Amino acid sequence: MKTLLHVHGLTKEYGKEKALDQVTFSLNKNTATALIGPNGAGKTTALSMLAGLLKQTSGTVVIGADLKGDIRREIGFLPQYPQFYSWLTALEFTEMVAKLSGLDGKNAKSQAERTLDFVGLTDAKNKKTGTFSGGMKQRLGLAQAIVHKPGLLLLDEPVSALDPMGRREIMNLLKELQEHTTILYSTHILNDAEEMTDQLLFLRKGQLVEQGSLREVRDKYANPLFKILFVNTEEAAKFVEMSPWPARQENEVVLIHLEENKPGMNEVLQVLAKSNLQLSKVERASATLEEIFLQVVNKHE
Amino acid sequence: MNNFSILFRKEWRENVRNFKILWIPLVFILFGISEPLTYYYLPQILNAVGNVPSDMVFQLPEYTPDQIIMSTIGQYQFIGMLIVAFGFAGIIARERKNGTATMLYVRPISYTGYVFSKLAIMGILIIGSACIGLLANVYYTNVLYGAVDAVAFIGFLGTYSIWLLFAICVVICSSAAFSTGIASVVSILLLVVVQLVDSLLGTYWTISPWKLPMYAGQILNGNLDKTPFFWSLTVTVVVVVLLVVLAVYLAKRNVSKAKI
Repeated sequence: MKTLLHVHGLTKEYGKEKALDQVTFSLNKNTATALIGPNGAGKTTALSMLAGLLKQTSGTVVIGADLKGDIRREIGFLPQYPQFYSWLTALEFTEMVAKLSGLDGKNAKSQAERTLDFVGLTDAKNKKTGTFSGGMKQRLGLAQAIVHKPGLLLLDEPVSALDPMGRREIMNLLKELQEHTTILYSTHILNDAEEMTDQLLFLRKGQLVEQGSLREVRDKYANPLFKILFVNTEEAAKFVEMSPWPARQENEVVLIHLEENKPGMNEVLQVLAKSNLQLSKVERASATLEEIFLQVVNKHE
Repeated sequence: MNNFSILFRKEWRENVRNFKILWIPLVFILFGISEPLTYYYLPQILNAVGNVPSDMVFQLPEYTPDQIIMSTIGQYQFIGMLIVAFGFAGIIARERKNGTATMLYVRPISYTGYVFSKLAIMGILIIGSACIGLLANVYYTNVLYGAVDAVAFIGFLGTYSIWLLFAICVVICSSAAFSTGIASVVSILLLVVVQLVDSLLGTYWTISPWKLPMYAGQILNGNLDKTPFFWSLTVTVVVVVLLVVLAVYLAKRNVSKAKI
C-alpha cells in the first residue's frame, strides 16, 4: 500500500504546555484513519497543523509523491464548527472556495452544484447560509472540503454535532468518498470510528498512546470474557465459590475472564450443568471499542 | 494576486448585502451638502426657529467657496474617520475571530490578493463616497457662493484621496495585526488623535501625512507651499506602501490566530 503522508515527531508547544508531543504516524493512500481521544487530547491541533493553519514547533510532515505542487490544493479541511459568510448563498460560497482551490470558472460552478447535490443540499443551494441549521452547516462544511476533489481529507469531528439520522447519512457519504480519497478524521463517537476505519490513532494529552488497525487493537485489548446471568444474587454467589476459574460477581452476573482462550464455552457449560444452579443466560463477550478506549486511556494514566 | 478577483467579488457582495454600499455614500453626501446649505441659510433658519429678538443683529462672516469646502473636510476628518475606523476595523480581524476565514486560509490563496481585495473594497466605498460627497458639496458651493476653479478642485480631490488611502491602509494594517477592538482603538488613535496633535503642535514641522488635508485646502485657495506638500505626499505614498506590505505579512502570520 502506498504511503500518502508520513508524520514524524510532530510537536506543538504553547509556552510550556505541549499540545502535541512527538506524534508519528503514516497515512496510506485511500484509507480512513480515525483519530480518537478525549477532549483536549490534541486532535484539533494535529489536524490544524496538517491543514497548514498552525505551524509545528518541531517535527516533519513528509508528503508522498502522489501529492504534487501546492499541497494546500490537495487538502480538504472541515473544522469542527464550520462558520460561513452569512450573506453568501451555499452555491456562491461553494463556487468561491472551489475557485480559490484552483478550479476555473465554469468547472467551479458545475462542480459546486454537483457537490451540493452530493451532500444533500440541492434544495437549499440558493439560500443564504445565515439561515442554515447546524446539520445543514455541517453538510455545507463537508461540501466545501470536497468540492475541489482533494487527495487528503481532514475532518474535525465530522458527525459529532449531528442527530442520528444526519450522522448515518454523512457516514455513508464519507464511505463513498473513501474509495478515492485518503481520510483522516477525529471523533469521540466510537461507533463511528468502528464503522469506517483502516487505522486507529489514540491520542491522550498530546501523545499517541496506541495505534493500529481495528483488528490489531481489538486483539490487544479485547479481553474476552464470559458473562453468566443467574436468576438471583444467591445463585451467582454460590457459583463464584465453586467456580474452577477466577470469577467475579456483579449482582446476578458472574464474569470469568479468558486467559489464552481458556476456558472454552463447553467447559463452562459443563460446569454449569453439573452445578444445578438456576441461570438465564451465558454469553462470550469482548470489549467494545468504548471499553478499549477507556482501557487505553487509563493504562497511560 | 491570482485570487484577487474572486476575493474582491466576495467583499463586494458583502458590502452590497449589508447595505454599506448605500449608507456610507449617503453619510458623506449628507455632510457634503449640509455645510453650504446651513451656512447659507443660517440667517433664515435662525429667524424661523431660533426665537431671536427681532432687534438683534448678526454679523455673520462672509465665506469664500474654499472655506465652505474646507469646513466640509473638517466634518469628514472627524465623522468620516470614525466611520472608516469603526466600520472597517474588523475587516480582517472579524473573519479571523468568527472562524469564517479558516476556510479561506486552508486554500492556496495569495495573501497579497487577500489584502488587496480588502483595500479595493474600502477604496471604492470610502474614497468613492468622499468624492461623491465633495462633488455634491462643490455643486451647492458653486450655486450659493460662487465658482470654484476646476483644476484646483481636481488637485484638491486627488490630494485628499491620497490621505484617505493612507487612512484605509492604517485600518487594514491594524485589522491584520490585532483583534477588532484593539484595531479600532489603534485606528482612532492614528487617524483622529494624532490628527489633533498634529494640528496643535504641528507648527514645528511641515512634512506629515496628517497635513495632507491642509495642503489640499491650500491647493484649493491657491496658496500652496509646494516643497513641504510634495515631501508630505512622497512620505505618505511610501508609508502607504509599507503599510500594505506589513498588512500582507501580518495577515499571513496571524493565520494561526483564526478560530478553528
